Amino acid sequence: MLKPVHRKASLFLIALAVFYLILAYRLESFTAGPIGADTMPKILGWLLILLSVILFFFKDQETEEEKQSRRIAKNDLIKMAGVLLLTFCYIFLLERVGFIVTSFLFIWLCSWFLGYQKHVKNIVTAVLFPVVLYSLFTFMLGIALPSGILPF
Amino acid sequence: MKKSLVLSLSLFTVLGLAACGTENSGSNENGSASGSSGQENWTPQQSLEIVAPSGAGGGWDTTARMAAEGFESEGIIDKGIGVVNKEGGGGAIGWSYIAEKAGNPHHMFVSSPPLLLVPLNGQSQYGFEDFTPIANMISDYGAFAVRDDAKWDNLNELFDDMKDNPEDITVIGESSPGSMDHIQFVKIAKAAGVDPQSIKYVSAQDGSTMTNLLNGNADVYSSGVTETIEQVRAEEIRVLGVTAEERLEGDVVSEFPTAKEQGIDETFVNWRGFFGPPDMTEAQISYYEEKFKALSESEHWADTREKFAWNEMYMDSGEYTQFLKEEKESMQQLLNELNISGG
Amino acid sequence: MGSLEGILSGVQLAFSFQGLLFVFLGVVAGTLIGMMPGLGPISAIAIMIPITYNMDPAVALVLMAGVYYGAVFGGSTSSILLNAPGISGTVATTFDGYPMAQRGEAGKALAIAAISSFVGGTISVILLMLFAPVLSNIAIQFGPAEYFALMVLGLTAISSLADGSTIKALISAVTGIMAVTIGIDSQTGTTRFTFGNPNLLEGIDFLVVALGLFAIAEVCALIINRHESPERNGSIGSLKLTKKDLKDMSGPMGRQSFLGFILGILPGSGATIGSFMGYISEKKIAKNPEEFGKGSVKGVAAPETANNAATSGAFVPLLSLGIPGSGTTAVLLGALLVLDIQPGPLLVQDQPALFWGVIISMYIGNVFLLILNLPLIPYIAKILAIPRPMLISMVIMFSMIGVYAISFNTFDLYLLLIFGAIGYIMRLFKFPAAPFILAFILGGMMEESFRQAMTISNNDITVFVTQPIAMSLLLIALLSFIVPIVQNTRRKKAEQK
Repeated sequence: MLKPVHRKASLFLIALAVFYLILAYRLESFTAGPIGADTMPKILGWLLILLSVILFFFKDQETEEEKQSRRIAKNDLIKMAGVLLLTFCYIFLLERVGFIVTSFLFIWLCSWFLGYQKHVKNIVTAVLFPVVLYSLFTFMLGIALPSGILPF
Repeated sequence: MKKSLVLSLSLFTVLGLAACGTENSGSNENGSASGSSGQENWTPQQSLEIVAPSGAGGGWDTTARMAAEGFESEGIIDKGIGVVNKEGGGGAIGWSYIAEKAGNPHHMFVSSPPLLLVPLNGQSQYGFEDFTPIANMISDYGAFAVRDDAKWDNLNELFDDMKDNPEDITVIGESSPGSMDHIQFVKIAKAAGVDPQSIKYVSAQDGSTMTNLLNGNADVYSSGVTETIEQVRAEEIRVLGVTAEERLEGDVVSEFPTAKEQGIDETFVNWRGFFGPPDMTEAQISYYEEKFKALSESEHWADTREKFAWNEMYMDSGEYTQFLKEEKESMQQLLNELNISGG
Repeated sequence: MGSLEGILSGVQLAFSFQGLLFVFLGVVAGTLIGMMPGLGPISAIAIMIPITYNMDPAVALVLMAGVYYGAVFGGSTSSILLNAPGISGTVATTFDGYPMAQRGEAGKALAIAAISSFVGGTISVILLMLFAPVLSNIAIQFGPAEYFALMVLGLTAISSLADGSTIKALISAVTGIMAVTIGIDSQTGTTRFTFGNPNLLEGIDFLVVALGLFAIAEVCALIINRHESPERNGSIGSLKLTKKDLKDMSGPMGRQSFLGFILGILPGSGATIGSFMGYISEKKIAKNPEEFGKGSVKGVAAPETANNAATSGAFVPLLSLGIPGSGTTAVLLGALLVLDIQPGPLLVQDQPALFWGVIISMYIGNVFLLILNLPLIPYIAKILAIPRPMLISMVIMFSMIGVYAISFNTFDLYLLLIFGAIGYIMRLFKFPAAPFILAFILGGMMEESFRQAMTISNNDITVFVTQPIAMSLLLIALLSFIVPIVQNTRRKKAEQK
């Protein structure tokens, strides 16, 4: 019964709506009137449940091709996870190490990881792009990006 | 393929950690250097950073940028001064950023009454007690405006009407309930005998406040003095009262009556000043006090004040702390009566 | 009449050496800032404040206005090339601009954007000149009840943003409004769904959602197709527009100049809503609505005309009433006060040269923008010739910095990744992202204005039908909801026969 993917999606959405509703019913409302901070969230929660139930009973109209598009090769999945991990590192280090160094590392390593083989070009771009952006932001526009370990 | 990921990541972290290490040791050295350089004289070891806990263009941001500009162009501080925006949580994000800089007095932030109100509303874990008040620089006041054809001629008539028909009078302001525009109105109205809870306050945060006053959706507009000037000149609106102690100086504003002269013994100051991280030494505080005082007394700053229609209100660290304590108590009381607190 | 003299002195100002120089500098700076990740008109103006500190007020205003519409002009570039909208006013441009660029017609898409921006900007300035005083009185009639009605009208368009399942579009929209309920509730000060996290108190920034759902989700798709080499190198930068293209564009450009302008006048509406409404209304009246979302010429022309027209519209209440209609014009108003310019009902009388000078400089500025941008397009479009792995890294960094430059808070960067993941999952399961983002924009305003109206009327729900403007808008909303359903059922019946 749960085979069609839209039914799984529907159940997930119902779970989300229930979670949202639980929080909504726990909201305190200070206004005396009938419409408070909790009115809209409650309506939204119930609406989402209603829509998800309708979705559940819809006919499965997915073509084989569309199903295929959801299947991601293991190889690609690894690449995505890797890029995600590199991005986490980027965020984590941005304010600690500074914009230029972190961005350089990110562009260089991420491009390399995704299979870019021209190392010289890679490094040159990875240096130039952040430096230009940083100078524009910090020196011309007066919007200070984190300088981190570099002295300027 | 996997190898290149592992390699990338490890390279990234190693380089990053190495960088982190140098940064930390660097700032530690600075900290100890400043500690050992004696209690009597302290000077900054590196460039200074002023945090505006809001986005670009607002009141905090402008104050911070103009102060930084003043320090530099007047040659009061010879280190570089950078202004950094830390927006979020009505200021809470910027405050917690500075709270983490304990022991590094090269960071400051600019703030105003929300520093009292936001924690009282339970929306920030840090209040002014968690920082070192350095100096207050300027003040601004609230104004209560009505349409030019409104039936009230002064605050007392308005408040008397409010006592009788609270549901007929809508007060509009920019900030959310329990914050500045709301509280300044409640504070004055309460002193005139209006029940704070009966006040019908609507918050419009998309710049539509003046429109709603003019088209009749709102009856009273609670805002800063400057926002009202142009519409008063055009005879679209009238200002029934301002929250200042005495009449303000200036072209149009000197005609605005104060609440006080109408027999309502209450004021509201929108102060604005600078705060440092917790645990600053005496020497560090007095260094900054001196610099801010010099700025406050300069021609340049007088010029800036005039341009932005700010009023002079310098307080040193001691006065400021005392002032903030008293302000906080009075805000706390108001919020309790409004039944908004701790949310 | 005095106004003719005023206009003449305005012409003099606008064509003076200083006037020309600063409008030029303004639009160049504006375009550049608009192209930068995360920087839109608000930051552009805020950045100019210290620079104009000691300038002649009229020239300073010419500069500020140039920066403002220049930034809106430049904002479309990253939407089209990278699916990464740099400002909220150009999100709708991604819907067709990016598919077009994917098809190897990046230069064409950019050219359409530039030309429509120019037309929208120019026509709306004419409207600004002719109708500013009349229209400002309409703008001022808009209170919470009218806003609520306008937002409802906007939301009825969600079904038209669905490609495929309407139910999925609706679910996407409901979750979009859910996302905007996070943060401090403006009407009571209650904190909602923040899980005690102070970073969520002010809600989620629009750009975090937009860049996540569009740019980051697209990155995921690019990673899978990373080996595809950009083989269409040769034609990427070609600006060639066929006669048919021009014909297709002319309708949307004409109509959206007006619609965008009017939406721009309404306080709190502005370029974002203007561009969405522009896109949606063109799709509704188009003969081939199914082309929208797949790289339609009209789909690029409509939002780009509308957002630039809305920018001029926003000057109406600012210059003629002294009322800021949006966050951007509020910052602009602050900047003007510093320059001792008091925008308001008296501005035309007190300083006619300044008033008309700025308006006339806006014509000149739009011409500059077009002349400057068209020759640059082939070079800018070459960004797409960058090898995929490098492009992916750069798009991620571009989005990161875009978000970081708004709040300077790394928390928002994690949120960006979360919305990127949501966006990608939505794609896999064929939930459209456009209704989510539209509901995110309109939903918050809809709730706020509904509750404001209810508070003002002491909870009397009839305010929405007793006020003529609100009632007519709601009626149009109702019709635009019912008519397609009726048409559909009729068509089905006809088919059965």
